[in-house]
Amino acid sequence: MSKPLDLLQGTLDLLILKAVSLGPLHGYGILLRIQQISKDRLEIQQGSLYPALYRLEHQGAIASEWGESENNRKAKYYRLTRAGERQLRAETEKWTQMSAVIAGILGVEEV
Amino acid sequence: MIRSLFRSLTRRARVESDMAAEIQFHIDAFAADLGKRGVPREEALRRARLEFGPIEAKKEECRQSLGLRFFDELRADLRYAARLLKQSPGFAAVAIVSLAMGIGANTAIFAMAKELLFTKMSVPEAGRLRAFSWVLKPGQQFPAAAWGAFGPGMAAPFSYPIYQDMRQSNPVLDDLVAFKDVNQLPVTVDGEAEAVDAWLVSGNFYPVLGAKIIAGRPIAPEDDSPAAAPVCVISDAYWARRFGRSASALGQTIYLNRAPLTIVGVNAPEFKGPKSGTTAEFFLPIALFQQVIPDPKGSPLTRNFWFVMIMGRLKPGVSEQAAQTALAANFADAFRADLPEKKASDMPTFRLVAGGRGLDTQTRLFARPSYFLLALAGLVLLIACVNLANLLLARSASRQREMSLRIAMGASHWRVMRQVLTESLLIAILGGAAGLLLGYWGRDLIPRLFDQRAVHPQIDWAVFAFAFLITLATGLLFGLVPAWRSTRADVNCGLQETTRMSLGRGRSLFGKSLVVAQVGLSLLLLIGAGLFLRTLVNLQSSALGFHPERILLFGIRAPRRSYTGARSVTLFHQLHDKITALPGVQSASLSALPLLADMMSLNCFHPSGRPPTSDDADSAWTNRVGPGFFETMGLPIVSGRSFTARDNERAPRVAIVNRRLAKQFFGDANPIGQTINSCDTDEAKTPIEIIGVSADAKYSSLREEPPPTVYFPYLQSAEGSEMTFEIKTAASESSIIAEIREAVRSVDKELPLLDIRTQAQQIDETLSQERVFAILSAAFGAVALILASIGIYGVMSYTVARRTNEIGIRMALGARSSAVLGMILRESLWLTLIGVTIGLAAAAGLAKFAESMLYGLKPRDPLTFAGAALLLIAVALAAGFTPARRASTVDPMQALRHE
Repeated sequence: MSKPLDLLQGTLDLLILKAVSLGPLHGYGILLRIQQISKDRLEIQQGSLYPALYRLEHQGAIASEWGESENNRKAKYYRLTRAGERQLRAETEKWTQMSAVIAGILGVEEV
Repeated sequence: MIRSLFRSLTRRARVESDMAAEIQFHIDAFAADLGKRGVPREEALRRARLEFGPIEAKKEECRQSLGLRFFDELRADLRYAARLLKQSPGFAAVAIVSLAMGIGANTAIFAMAKELLFTKMSVPEAGRLRAFSWVLKPGQQFPAAAWGAFGPGMAAPFSYPIYQDMRQSNPVLDDLVAFKDVNQLPVTVDGEAEAVDAWLVSGNFYPVLGAKIIAGRPIAPEDDSPAAAPVCVISDAYWARRFGRSASALGQTIYLNRAPLTIVGVNAPEFKGPKSGTTAEFFLPIALFQQVIPDPKGSPLTRNFWFVMIMGRLKPGVSEQAAQTALAANFADAFRADLPEKKASDMPTFRLVAGGRGLDTQTRLFARPSYFLLALAGLVLLIACVNLANLLLARSASRQREMSLRIAMGASHWRVMRQVLTESLLIAILGGAAGLLLGYWGRDLIPRLFDQRAVHPQIDWAVFAFAFLITLATGLLFGLVPAWRSTRADVNCGLQETTRMSLGRGRSLFGKSLVVAQVGLSLLLLIGAGLFLRTLVNLQSSALGFHPERILLFGIRAPRRSYTGARSVTLFHQLHDKITALPGVQSASLSALPLLADMMSLNCFHPSGRPPTSDDADSAWTNRVGPGFFETMGLPIVSGRSFTARDNERAPRVAIVNRRLAKQFFGDANPIGQTINSCDTDEAKTPIEIIGVSADAKYSSLREEPPPTVYFPYLQSAEGSEMTFEIKTAASESSIIAEIREAVRSVDKELPLLDIRTQAQQIDETLSQERVFAILSAAFGAVALILASIGIYGVMSYTVARRTNEIGIRMALGARSSAVLGMILRESLWLTLIGVTIGLAAAAGLAKFAESMLYGLKPRDPLTFAGAALLLIAVALAAGFTPARRASTVDPMQALRHE
């Protein structure tokens, strides 16, 4: 098994937005979903998730609500807001462009 | 985002517990998942915590994400600052009290200035109100008789026919209202007489201005007709005072100057009438003029008699310039139509002026004094700031190690600066709050000193904002330098055992220059205080030419309705006889004008046989007086005789002149038996014989030298319906007033005694402005002196503490303690002398601005300058003495071990 990749700077926000865009999740659920989608190839320091969540909520990209978890415990659920949807779209597009440009540059070098 | 921040701030406990619960849930859930994979429970929890990372650090990051960190740090800084202040209560007291005095004085004076100079009438859209005024060209004569105050920028009187004409054709203002103030009218309610102030207003006054009524109804346009039933509206204050706010006041008939009026309404308390700084009790339709104040020359409403003020709201969209042009044309038309006999060159120039404050007599009187006082108070605050900056600087020096430690441990410079600034702002805000409280308590004090009893400054949001802004400004002013300095520390030096190394020359030099600045500013205030105090003393001790002691004054106004023409003379004669006969009265007299009351009557006379000239040589100040006037006032008759009761309308006309006039008219010739004539062509035929010469006495103002004066017996002229009585008495004021009241009542039971005061109080009243300046500048000067001594004490104590080591070495090497004492005292003397030199130079430069307010001394009065400088030097030496003594008693052994 190859060593998991470190998260690129500034991508955690994007991953969180993507994770909650599929439906409301609590913090641990978000972590699990990101790991699941990335097939465990990304390493996220668990504690770092929360400052990012608080920051996104403070900015209004996500909203939170207390609810019941799968095993009947109280948990805080996050969902995407309208502003969050817009931010996700904009960031996704920026990311796609950026990766295309970088891939292009790296491709040239290989020739 | 702001909502999120607000929520986090207001529900802080909830945020914290949610955060803890959320993280706990995460760890539990993770542990449970690990458990499912067969990890034992204890081990699972441990690994979950490990994987999560440092919980407290993450929480702090979360708080930062919420924007809470700033507030957490602020709270910590404030708590720390409060603890520091508590540790040095002496410093805290000096800081807070000095700021409170500075900010309090500024707040109170600002509130007064705002109330005196800017408060508008309490009617809707007062800002759109414009008043009519006029100016005369140089040398132009006013074309008619006029009654009222006028000055630049103030509403001026117009004739009633001109008001009516201009109201007819007025395209640029909403409907025009007319009004006129009449002061000190006797009113009789239930057989009891007192004097009140009244406004005569046009019928549309209430509907057009929108002044509010709290009971009954306002004056309506229908009331403004000679045929209508006479009505009036009373003020809320009068309603409360006279009727206890009883509804039965409405419909009651009262007698104003003997004319029956029915009360129909009560003004709202906030509506005080169309003249700033005054409150009138009665408002009545202007059509009642002739009924209430009968004028023998006919109704003032139909004559060429200029007395009404005119006002209206500017129509929306009309520019000031367009309105001025249109109304000036209207005025010219009205002037031509109403005064066809006058030439165009007789017409005054029309001016439209601001009307939001109604008839504004206060701006002219109080603008300069208010700004001057604000400047003085600002100076005090500046001195307090410099003083605090100095004290804080000394403190920050002793906290060098702490700051160095903070920086060494990774605090940013900005963070350290922020902490020191927070401390300064905390001090400023405490001082500001105390100052606002002081200003609130003292808000009526300064207007009362100015004899403006009707002025009650409000501490409203504008005053609050002013206090808050100057508080912030002072906090930054005295805090910024110490804050900036505290981060300039050399960390290495600061952390060493001794603090000596980091105390460079620059720092103490800076502290010393602050003390120099403080001394200079304080000297400025002290010199001001000296100039104003001496002005007041000079005025109070200036030779009057008469003796004002134990003289009681009061006015009597003979209502024209009952006493026309010569009958008023008979009334005054009767009253004079009755009062003279009273047992407690040594002598009594009466005069048309009280002395030294800022009232004057200026006329033109010339010696018989010499034609009148047009220049000032013929102008004389006149007064009509009763028999016994010169004896009662202690004004010596130097030759000839005084007036007697036989100098009446049947006797030949006589006059008494003062020495100055005698000299002006007759040179060295004996004036007794000579005659003079009035320049007025109607009266010029009757020569007036001079029967006596009096000494020169001051007339209307203490500031003026005795003018050329002519006294006439009031018994020989029937003009004027008000006289002031002068009573020389040894009896107590209250008993003699009761006796006089009884005597007046026996002649006419509805005559109130107006404006009872002693001659000394009367003189004092004209000095209110000088007194305010003297009292406030002396108080401010005292504060400055105290602060200067604290500043010098502080900086010298600090110097001595810093040089303990050096002094110890000196003494160990054989310096005597007297030499050390001298050395330290010399240093504080030097600081003071530099400050004094700067202060003297600044005062010499600024003194000319105070010139018009001074009396009997030059603005650069050497005695005052020297006195203030010596006082300051003495206080500075005293303040520097304790630290110097401490230095001289340093024990060399201890001092060298001091480190």
